[in-house]
Amino acid sequence: MALAVVERLSFSYPGAVAGLRDISLQLEPGERVALLGPSGSGKSTLLRALSGLVPHFHGGRFEGRVVVAGLDTRRARPAEMAGTVATVFQDPEDQVVMTLAMNEVAFGLENIGVEPGAIWPRVERALEAVGASHLAERRTVELSGGELQRVCLAAALALEPQLLLLDEPTSQLDPDGAAAFFDAVDALGATIVLSEQRVGRALAQADRVLFLEDGRLRLDAPRAEAEEWLAEHRPRYASSGFEPDVAVEEERPETAMLLELNGVTFAYQGGPPAVDGVDLELRRGEVVALEGANGSGKTTLAKLASGLLEPSRGSVRRHGRVAYLTQDPGRYLAKETVLAEVALGVGGDEARARAALDRFGLSFAYDRHPRDLSSGERERLGVAAVAVSEPDVLVLDEPTRGLDPDRKAELAAWLTAYAAAGRAVLVATHDRSFAAHRRIGLGAVEEVRAGR
Amino acid sequence: MKRVPRLRFSPGPFSPGPAALSLGAIGTSALLIDRLWAIGVLAAGLFALTLRAPRHRRWPYLYGALSAGLSVFLLSPLFNTAGGGTLLWEGPTIPVVGTLDITTDELQQAALNGLRLTALALAFAVYGLLLDHDRLVSGARAARRSALAVALATRLVPSLQRDAVGLVEAVRGRGVEIGGVRGYALLLSPLVAGSLERATNLAEAMESRGFGRAGATRAPQPPWARADWLALVGSAALVVVALTWL
Repeated sequence: MALAVVERLSFSYPGAVAGLRDISLQLEPGERVALLGPSGSGKSTLLRALSGLVPHFHGGRFEGRVVVAGLDTRRARPAEMAGTVATVFQDPEDQVVMTLAMNEVAFGLENIGVEPGAIWPRVERALEAVGASHLAERRTVELSGGELQRVCLAAALALEPQLLLLDEPTSQLDPDGAAAFFDAVDALGATIVLSEQRVGRALAQADRVLFLEDGRLRLDAPRAEAEEWLAEHRPRYASSGFEPDVAVEEERPETAMLLELNGVTFAYQGGPPAVDGVDLELRRGEVVALEGANGSGKTTLAKLASGLLEPSRGSVRRHGRVAYLTQDPGRYLAKETVLAEVALGVGGDEARARAALDRFGLSFAYDRHPRDLSSGERERLGVAAVAVSEPDVLVLDEPTRGLDPDRKAELAAWLTAYAAAGRAVLVATHDRSFAAHRRIGLGAVEEVRAGR
Repeated sequence: MKRVPRLRFSPGPFSPGPAALSLGAIGTSALLIDRLWAIGVLAAGLFALTLRAPRHRRWPYLYGALSAGLSVFLLSPLFNTAGGGTLLWEGPTIPVVGTLDITTDELQQAALNGLRLTALALAFAVYGLLLDHDRLVSGARAARRSALAVALATRLVPSLQRDAVGLVEAVRGRGVEIGGVRGYALLLSPLVAGSLERATNLAEAMESRGFGRAGATRAPQPPWARADWLALVGSAALVVVALTWL
């Protein structure tokens, strides 16, 4: 008997076009389902429909029926479905309620009325299952993104749900952190629906694949069959996710220097050096990727290169104008419309702002509030807002986070062309598939390899 | 878990409830005590407790407590008109304020007030840095929603601070410098919008984890140990001694 049944589900958020159109599917107990599709295709909305958050929390127009473990979401509120369904959302910082990690995991158990004597043993088991026992007594505000995401997964697992919904849960994790997360997920017995932009990882976990596009279910098939369909119809979703599909020259003639970092060291107040004695050169025409695990100093080095931080030792020389795209730019939006947000970087020049928005596929959104965009659209808006002034050096911190494979390839192609026009690009990224002329590994502070 | 968790960051072996009550008693005593050495001992003890918190979290509290106490010590003698004791320095006469001078009695009173303020601020620092607020508030057993609202509000200030820093960096990264009161005032609207968005996301996550559902239970908390009872008795005794002798 199916665990979840979705029948002819259509849904639109208040004042918006349809987010889901006529979706029908069933989820069987123990299934691992990868939910793929472009940004804004309705993946998160479908997950919310399965947890009852759509329509109860968001409102909107809901047609059809969703039943999970006998609970019809039209009647059962999300809080009543907690325990049967659990969700891990994209951004761990926005889902943490309590001060200590172990209390965070206990929070849901208390809410669903677990017998008090069983709460701490279940907290312990859940933290152990995700390899986070050592974090139990840590304050949640002090945890890294990766640690916090594990605690969030533990909080979901502690509920012992029949259906676990994962909405891009590894978007903030480095590859090792993401692998550890998926290993923890792999050991679970629950039915899992995983929405993920790291397609290779998602496919490796799945025995069934759903592909959404424009709110419609384009594909619902076992993994092998789905891989063939993806290879034929959506080839970027079929790749392993570790090979760049944008060509860059392997050998480049030496060009003029744009950025030089010599023996740069920096430590945050009272802490150990985040960056210690790093040398880095960036020349015209180059795309250079800064790689490293969470906490290896990529962001710090990017800020030093941009002039947002001053080194405590060493020197930074810039031979041109440098602009910096912060990590998670969708959170740091300053203006009331998309157009004004981009025009901010060029003294209010709306013509240039429009051109930049068109370039990044956001021409439909000139007058919309930036916070009404999807996460992937906000990432593109962030890139448009720094690129609009056409700086000599563009420094980007995790620009591919939340981007679907098509948008990622478009961004990589655009950055390659941007650099080829006599500028340079420095990208701090977890994404090993990001196309670059050189890749600099931080942590070991060494250059990994040229070309690729 | 084989055991009910006790927290590494609680001050010493105490549970959060008795620890909070003891800190309240210490703060009250600091206001009642008139002997300089006694307040000095209280402040030094609280300072040592504060040092148990991680360095990066404790420094704003220490900076605030010590600078506030020092300011009171340095400035209040100038404006204290009570006089008394030996005149150490006589300064100019300022309209409304009067003659600026410093006497030995004024210095002693300033030291007393400065230490009082420091001790109070350090007691708050220990409360903020070392206690498990989740359990402290939920231990009240009533008004769970209000209790949670207090815990979340405690986190609001550091979240807003992080968002403000991030927003300034994001704008500076585009080559736009923010300066002056007007410049920073323009950040208020996006900061409020950001915190509303964060609050909405959090509310959604809380609902999906069963918040507001009937029949909620509580994770068991460790019973008060002998040390907790001793702390309570000691705190009460401290207040009595502060009232009657110190």
